Amino acid sequence: MKTTNPQHRLLVLLSIPVFLFLVIPTAIVVPVALNDSRYITFPPEGISFAAVAGFFADAAWTSALTASLQSAGIAVVIGVLLGATAAIGLHGRKFPGQSAVVGLILAPMIVPTVVLALAFYQFFISVGMVGSIIPIGLAHAVIATPYVYLTTRASLAGLNPALVRSAQSLGAGALSVLRHVYLPVILPGLISGALFAFSVSIDETVMSLFMQSPGATTLPVKMFTDIQFNLTPKIAVSSALLVSVATIGLLLQVMFVLKRRSSARMLPLAVSTQT
Amino acid sequence: MSNATLAGSRPRGRDSPPSVETTSRRRRSSWWLLLAPILAFDVVLFLTPLGKLVGASFADSAYQRVLEDPLVMRALLNTLTISLASTVVTVVLGYIIAMVLWRAGNVARVILFAVVLLPFWTGILVKNFAWAVLLQDNGLVNAFLQGIGLTDAPIPLLHNRFAVIVGMVHCLLPYAVFPIFSSLTSIDDRLGLAARSLGAREGSVFRRITLPLSVPGISAAGLLVFIISTGFFITPVVMGGPGDMMIANQIDYYARQLTDFSGAAALAVILTVMVSILVAVYQRVLKAGGQHEDN
Repeated sequence: MKTTNPQHRLLVLLSIPVFLFLVIPTAIVVPVALNDSRYITFPPEGISFAAVAGFFADAAWTSALTASLQSAGIAVVIGVLLGATAAIGLHGRKFPGQSAVVGLILAPMIVPTVVLALAFYQFFISVGMVGSIIPIGLAHAVIATPYVYLTTRASLAGLNPALVRSAQSLGAGALSVLRHVYLPVILPGLISGALFAFSVSIDETVMSLFMQSPGATTLPVKMFTDIQFNLTPKIAVSSALLVSVATIGLLLQVMFVLKRRSSARMLPLAVSTQT
Repeated sequence: MSNATLAGSRPRGRDSPPSVETTSRRRRSSWWLLLAPILAFDVVLFLTPLGKLVGASFADSAYQRVLEDPLVMRALLNTLTISLASTVVTVVLGYIIAMVLWRAGNVARVILFAVVLLPFWTGILVKNFAWAVLLQDNGLVNAFLQGIGLTDAPIPLLHNRFAVIVGMVHCLLPYAVFPIFSSLTSIDDRLGLAARSLGAREGSVFRRITLPLSVPGISAAGLLVFIISTGFFITPVVMGGPGDMMIANQIDYYARQLTDFSGAAALAVILTVMVSILVAVYQRVLKAGGQHEDN
């Protein structure tokens, strides 16, 4: 805008290292995974797919990948169903106790993940649900659902409640109102929310770590356990896989933000305490 | 409200359009059905586990026990100092990025937003792994420092507090950029124009207009970042040393090493109460700053 004034040039100059600081770590992951060396180094010495082949030949890593995809599947399905129905149910309504309901829906985003991890660990042991991916998927669904609720709510912001009323007064049943009025409006929000839910689940480590068992070890848990002993090429491959997923998610998100300004407003709200 | 359920099942004829009254009743009857699934889910899988956790924390005088543990005290102190340091660095760097985004043209803004969002979308383990590769003895950073002649031997950059703060700041930056950016965009451009037309230099426009008017964004960003910092678990393990463990690591230690559930639960409750108070303050700050948050 004002590239001509020296203060602005100073600002841009100052920001270059900050942007590099942001980008470099994610940018090196793929080259590190394709490094033609037994050591983990950057810059790579040559390109090779040996580590990738090694990753997919290792049952411990492929089963971790499968477990991660299964838990993400559970989180996306539950998150989309519950988040979307809640957003529609609350759209354009005022009732006593509403803020408490919204507070409950958003609360899983605020509670630190390690606290939820401990709570779920105790809870699933007490009800005898341990040793499978299902409790992990359910736990991921708990933290994924608020994201879908928020994205759906953001996409509903432009929908006039009068439209729903007029559809109903013309005799439309609940299901056809859902299909013909709500669905077209919330679809971008649903897709965006599903992406968030998938990404929340695929990266979640702490809860999965507490609830892991030999048959239910997710990719981040396997990475976390291995990182503490050694930086190995298989961790790099796993990282590269997750970065690819993140890039696809990001590109789709940017597409939606460009399309709909309303979802841009939602981004700062997406508080994740998965640390 | 008791007849609301009945209204929903009332038969309706095609040739007699429902009156306004029945329509509004039907609306009332259906909306809570849409909320029922999420409420049931959250009560069973969120409130119940948390309730059990709070219950467990009161067993075996757990609070007294953990608060007398010097390891816990150290972890609390670590959490406070590491979180504060990370917050300050994050807000300063976030401000620079937000300013650039604010001043950028449309195309540049989209590209730079994507740059900010990429780490936001990438999992913490991936980011920490990448930093471990960069900061290790034969990593890029040490190679660079030796290349420019700053040092002859590799500097230990990994497995210390510096590394923890680097890793945390990298994760936290996007959370600081958004609130600051949003408070910058709400500043009336005419104020700067007026000041410049009266002869103000860029520096004093920043000091006397932009900075004071972005204080709500700065405080919101600072609080948000501090809140998230207090729960960090993975970064202290992957990037820190034994002396950098934070409160989340202590919870894990109590639960999985000592198998002392009540102790772990007491620590978890302490952390949650701390965070909840901060969240309440954060929402106050958001409201005071006039940012449109409707929850």
